[in-house]
Amino acid sequence: MGTTSNFRWPWQYDFPPFFTMQKNADTRFKQTEAWCSLILDYHNHHKLFRLRVTDVLASPLFYNKAIDRRLTKPDVIEILSILHKKGNIEWEDKEKTVCKVFWKTPAQWSDIIFKWVNQSGLNNTVCTLHEITNGPHSSDQEFYALDDQILMQAIQILQASGKAELMGTEGVKFFT
Amino acid sequence: MGYIGGIQAKRGVGASAITKKKLEAVRYKEHGNELAMIQLDQLSGQLETFHSHLEKFAANHKQEIRKNPQFRRQFQQMCATIGVDPLASGKGFWSEILGVGDFYYELGVQLVEICITTRPQNGGIIAITELHQKLMKTRGKYAQDVSIDDVRTALSKLKLLGTGFTLLGTGLKQIVKSVPGELNMDHSAILELAQKSNGKVSHADVKSVYNWQPERIQDVLEHLTKEGMAWVDTQTPKNETWYWFPALFGVGDNK
Repeated sequence: MGTTSNFRWPWQYDFPPFFTMQKNADTRFKQTEAWCSLILDYHNHHKLFRLRVTDVLASPLFYNKAIDRRLTKPDVIEILSILHKKGNIEWEDKEKTVCKVFWKTPAQWSDIIFKWVNQSGLNNTVCTLHEITNGPHSSDQEFYALDDQILMQAIQILQASGKAELMGTEGVKFFT
Repeated sequence: MGYIGGIQAKRGVGASAITKKKLEAVRYKEHGNELAMIQLDQLSGQLETFHSHLEKFAANHKQEIRKNPQFRRQFQQMCATIGVDPLASGKGFWSEILGVGDFYYELGVQLVEICITTRPQNGGIIAITELHQKLMKTRGKYAQDVSIDDVRTALSKLKLLGTGFTLLGTGLKQIVKSVPGELNMDHSAILELAQKSNGKVSHADVKSVYNWQPERIQDVLEHLTKEGMAWVDTQTPKNETWYWFPALFGVGDNK
């Protein structure tokens, strides 16, 4: 996982009312937008791809111990449904207890990966999926340790636009 | 004159005495006017000299005026004494040689930018100290030094342009309001109170300090919330509602 330290919380995080859902419509909008960004940034920084609602309620993300403020479960569900509309989360179950978090959408990942493929001269060679996300040449890349399912979605997008072709279950060939 | 007096004296004492007095009065009046004329001449001459001295001074101390806020303020006060406004816009010695008019215009633009970019966060009010801090940051470390007085001066120039900037409160605790809309004495009073406790007030705080009626307190707090200047916090120790102002929160700390 990523380090809990050196994550830069936004100013809102230490602002007590941030954890009370505002009734004023304009302020409410600013608030939910800020929460959406925070959730994505937090998952990005810690390289987390999945969110379990019960777990996360007690985590620093939704509970700021220093100021003794927290979001309630209904609040979290409301914000997650906004993120869902934006395409940044996908519920894994009907009960909405767990979701996948796309701090980048699969389409965005596909762009980043394809760029890296070009820069590294890996076109027209066959790579394993594993070496893309866990190989020595990608250790400094954003997609390092990317979730397998998300990687697959990204590759499929490239495949659909003729930029790649899956080889079996483990390999992929990239074209120019 | 003497000759006339001489002839008059031959006629008799009474008549000459009256005429003499009359003549003296006339002489005095004309001489009095002359005196005033001379004095006026001298004065306007002095003013002209003074004005040109001031211009010379300004030209010689151009750098000082540009770099040093205290010096700049004293120079402006000196100008005000003889009724010269170095900030008058338009062409002329002041704006061309000194570039002082442009200086405050430039500041004004930067201040407006800061107010606009911080508006989503603070609802259109910002502590003058924070505004000043952000201005310094925007201008960078190689730019001229700018004081809080310079900020006030620039804001007053903006006000003349009708851009709706208002200063609330006094001194270093002043708050700059950059949005249109009603903010009366009651609102200012609440902001002042909030400044003293890191940007927050409760209904009870207002009551204990100002002793207003509950409806009045509620009205003001609701208005400030509606304007987006205050956020509501209900997770408080005694379950009362607290009102927090982003503009006044953490000001003074390193934000």
